[in-house]
Amino acid sequence: MASTTGQLTFAIETFKRIHPVEFQRRFLSQQTRHDGRAFDEFRNTQVVKGTISTAHGSSTVRIGNTTMVCGIKAEVSEPDVSRPNEGFLTTNIDLSPMCSASYRPGAPSEEAQVCSEHLFRLFSGCVDLAALCIEKGQAVWALAADVVCLKSDGNIMDAAIIALLAALEDVQLPQASLDSVTGVVSADKTMAKRLQLQRRLFPASFSLVDDAYLVADADDAEERLATGSLLVVLDGNGKLANVWKRGSFIGRDAIARCVEEAQARRNAVAKALK
Amino acid sequence: MTRPDRRETSQIRALHCALGQLNRADGSAQFSAGNTSVICGIYGPVDVKLYDEKLDRAHIEVKFRPDIGVPMTKDKWNESAIRSTFEREIIGQMHPRTLVQINIQVRQNDGSVDAAAINATTLALVDAGIPLRSMVAAATCAVCANGNIVIDPTQEEISKAQSTHTFGFSNQQTDSPAYVDSRGDFTMDQYNSCYDMCATATERIFAFMRSAIESKVSKESLNEA
Repeated sequence: MASTTGQLTFAIETFKRIHPVEFQRRFLSQQTRHDGRAFDEFRNTQVVKGTISTAHGSSTVRIGNTTMVCGIKAEVSEPDVSRPNEGFLTTNIDLSPMCSASYRPGAPSEEAQVCSEHLFRLFSGCVDLAALCIEKGQAVWALAADVVCLKSDGNIMDAAIIALLAALEDVQLPQASLDSVTGVVSADKTMAKRLQLQRRLFPASFSLVDDAYLVADADDAEERLATGSLLVVLDGNGKLANVWKRGSFIGRDAIARCVEEAQARRNAVAKALK
Repeated sequence: MTRPDRRETSQIRALHCALGQLNRADGSAQFSAGNTSVICGIYGPVDVKLYDEKLDRAHIEVKFRPDIGVPMTKDKWNESAIRSTFEREIIGQMHPRTLVQINIQVRQNDGSVDAAAINATTLALVDAGIPLRSMVAAATCAVCANGNIVIDPTQEEISKAQSTHTFGFSNQQTDSPAYVDSRGDFTMDQYNSCYDMCATATERIFAFMRSAIESKVSKESLNEA
C-alpha cells in the first residue's frame, strides 16, 4: 500500500517476504536479529529422553522451532571378520518434506547424506564398540540410530548431534547370551544394562550471514542468507572434538571466539541433558 | 621418534603434478603427494539441467569418486566440502545459466586425500580457464598419540593419530582459512599449531602450483611461436 508521502511502505510480513536480504540487514546492521536475539545467543533448547517406548533408546530435542526425534534400535548381527569383537553403529538422518518445504521427497538429499556421514564420523569414536560384543566372532549388537527431523527451522546439525547423544545415553541393552549348541541368541530384558559412552559431545553452530555477520544458532530465515558455516563440537572435558568450517571466509580470531562461545553453550546443553 | 617414512615432522611428501592430461576435458590436473594421487577433470561452462539452472551465476557440481568401490556417503561428504570451498572462488556471475562440473577421481589413497583433492581442483580450474577470485591450496596435519604434530600424514599415521586437521587457504587472504576440518580429540593450542603448520605448507604448495602453471604456459607459447 502507498502512504500519503508517496513513499512505498509495506506491512512487516510483506517486507520480510519480498526483500528477505534487506529485511535481515536492517536488524543485523543494528547488532540485533529479527527474533530479538543477540549475535551470540542460542535459542532455548529442550531435551527429553525416552520418548519412544518401543526403541532401545530415544530422545526428542527442540532448539527453538527445530524439532528432532532420534530412535536407536539394537539388533543382533554377525561381526565383521576383520573385527570379530566389535559391534556396529550406523547413523541416518531423515530430512523429509514434512519438516520443511525446501526438502524433496525421494532419495536422501546431499545435505541429508552429508549430515548422517558427519554424525557417524563424530559418534563412531564415542561408543565403545567392543562393549557391544555378545560372543566373539559370533554375535554382536548393531545399533541403528535414526534421526528424524519433524520441524526444520535452522541449525539441524546441532539438534541432530544433541538428539543422538541423548538417545545413545538412553540406550538400554538386554543381557544377551549365545547358546553354543543351537546358535540362537537369547536376550533377558529384566537384566537390561545402560550403554556407557566414552565421550559426550556438545555442538555449537555459527553462520556467516550476508558475508558479514557471524551469528550463533541461525534459524531458517538467516540460514537462507548464510554464505558460510562453522560447527564447533566440544567434549565433556571441554576439549575440542570437531571444528568444521565451510563456505565463505571466517577469520582465525573469529573462529577462536566461537570456540569460547561454544564452551558456554556446552554448559547450557549439559544442563538441558541433565 | 621418527616417522615411518623418515620424514621430518614439518616435511611434506614429494609433490608432483601434470596439467591437461585428459584431452576431452576442458581442463584437468593430476596432483600427487607421495603415494596419494588424485586426478581432476573440469567441464565448463556447459549446458545446465533446467532444475539446476541459476539466473545470475553458474551452477557448480562436484563428483567425487573413490579409488576403490562405488561412491558412498563419505564421498558425498567430500563433494560437499569441495563445492562449498570453490563455490566462493569461482566467479560464476561471468557464466550465468551454465554448469561447471568438477570430476575428481582418487587414484591412490595414502592419507591426506581431501587436501590433495582441493589442490588438484584448483590446478584443473586454472587449466580449464574458469575465472577464479583466488587459488586455494590445502594441507593436512595429524596430532600423534605422543603429542607430535606431523604434516601431510600417510594413512598409517592417520589411523594412529589423536586428531587430524585439514586447512585450506586462499592465496589472497592469509588471515582467514577457506576451509577447516579438524576432527578427533584436541586442544585449542594443538589446533593453533596445526593451523600454522598447514599455513606454511600451503605457501610451498602455492609456489609449486605457480611453477607448474608457468611451465605449462611457457611450453604452450613456444608451440604457438
